[in-house]
Amino acid sequence: MVAVEWVGKRVGTSVSTDESAAASFLSRNQFLIYRLFSLSGLVPVGAFLVVHLLTNASILGGAESFQGRVDLIHSLGPLLVPVEIAFIFLPILFHAAVGFMIIAGGLPNVGSYPYAGNIRYTLQRATGMIAFAFIVWHLIHLHWLGAPVRGTAMPGFDPHHASSTLAVAMGSMAMNLLYCVGMLAAVYHFANGLWSLGITWGLWTSPAAMRRANVVSVVVGVVLAVAGLGSLVGVRRVDVEAARSMETRREELRRMLEGEVPLPGAAGVGVGQPLRADPSAAEPQRSGT
Amino acid sequence: MIAPNHAADHPATGDEARTIRVRVLRQDAPGQESYWERHSVLYEPNMNVISVLQRIAAGARSADGRPVAPVTWDCNCLEEVCGSCTMLINGRTRMACSALVDRLLEEQPEEIELRPMSKFPVVRDLVVDRRRLFRGLERVKAWVPVDDSYDHGPGPRISPEEQEDAYPLSTCMSCGCCLEACPQYTKIEPVRRDGESVEDFEQRRQGAFDRGFVGAHAVSQAMLFNAHPTGKMIADERLESLTAAGGIQMCGNAQNCVAVCPKGIPLTRSIARAGRAATVWAIKRLFDR
Repeated sequence: MVAVEWVGKRVGTSVSTDESAAASFLSRNQFLIYRLFSLSGLVPVGAFLVVHLLTNASILGGAESFQGRVDLIHSLGPLLVPVEIAFIFLPILFHAAVGFMIIAGGLPNVGSYPYAGNIRYTLQRATGMIAFAFIVWHLIHLHWLGAPVRGTAMPGFDPHHASSTLAVAMGSMAMNLLYCVGMLAAVYHFANGLWSLGITWGLWTSPAAMRRANVVSVVVGVVLAVAGLGSLVGVRRVDVEAARSMETRREELRRMLEGEVPLPGAAGVGVGQPLRADPSAAEPQRSGT
Repeated sequence: MIAPNHAADHPATGDEARTIRVRVLRQDAPGQESYWERHSVLYEPNMNVISVLQRIAAGARSADGRPVAPVTWDCNCLEEVCGSCTMLINGRTRMACSALVDRLLEEQPEEIELRPMSKFPVVRDLVVDRRRLFRGLERVKAWVPVDDSYDHGPGPRISPEEQEDAYPLSTCMSCGCCLEACPQYTKIEPVRRDGESVEDFEQRRQGAFDRGFVGAHAVSQAMLFNAHPTGKMIADERLESLTAAGGIQMCGNAQNCVAVCPKGIPLTRSIARAGRAATVWAIKRLFDR
């Protein structure tokens, strides 16, 4: 009956015809910014993800092995915060900012063209946004940065009591599910990004080379996903009480070695007075050289 | 001779008076609202979408018998080499001349849906303004620079291997399917402002085109002419353009372009090669200046 139906005007995202100063800066340096964006996904953000997930997986070897890895990271001492800011937070923020800009400029059409590559393109954007939201939550939930936000509502993560505090924080099923989704999104984003990065920089150019690179990316993704899921399983297996006493023991030992507390039986050494400051202890070394 | 009615064994010819239902997204002029209009056409064996459009134009009546202005479309060669009849047929970008009605009815028997390309401004009905597509070819200087009045003698030899590599790229007919399917190539349709001169508007439009993504077709043509022994004399100028705003970096590796290309051009290989060339060129620029 009705042969004529009116439809709304089709609107796509379009490039503005007038450029502001900021847009002009982005235009002029677009190639450099996009290449730095691509590189930052691999180094340092992707490299950090790999180290992070493999470190986490060490909890499968027991609370003590995990505590050992955490202590290794924290052996950086006061350098840790600047390293975190320079090599983790700022690169992630840069990657996310440019990423959101790229997502805003695209017009996904997986409904009309449901090809494998297009599905991956769309998933890459979806997982990027999920991973970013998850990272923000992850910091609020566990990291020292999130401490003012979470207050006393959530216990957070104490690097000197890594396994026990983590096991408490990861206690609920919902939290496990959330971390599962967030971690898998980050892993997909990294693995698929690896494949995409190789095309962007021109490492693999022929369809056959792209297929081979795809196999490598899938293997990398599966290994990281297994490591990530394994660490979630590992946390669930932690005996909180046993882990806490082990951590307290290690903590005491560490403080003794650093001279914060006296070694048992070291008479005459005051509390808080470092052992190595004792001139008699350093004397034999000096004469030996 | 072959059997007089080759399609006799096709079930579609069972009912001689069968009609095909066609739904066309029409638009009377640039910037106007678009609207759907239904048409019905008598089925004939071996029809393509162009012959359906010819019947619709000849009838100039909608399905309910109302006289309407004939539907407008672009076409020329009718053998998939000129690239002018691109439209969205059943939601996918393709050439109307090589879209056979029998195949279309197999995948969607109730109706054939025709829409203009969504990435270019509509001129009228199924006719779009593809100026930006050709501007893309200008941006990357998709030609061999031989404008000269002297005889330079025969050009350098091209090996059969190089010819085989280049030939598929040379079959590009500027149909724009790769751009229509690309989620990174979004519509740019500036509107002339009140009191804006034709020259100012043209300049503003050109500026907007030049900041937008250049597109897979232009990237591939740049690679074709950068591989040509005479064409490569301005290889750096092409790379300069490919690394400017809207250049190769805008590619998101969805790889729809190669999936929809009617000529089967290895567009993603060209894109990856352009990525490699851009990497090398950018490093050279960084250190050689």
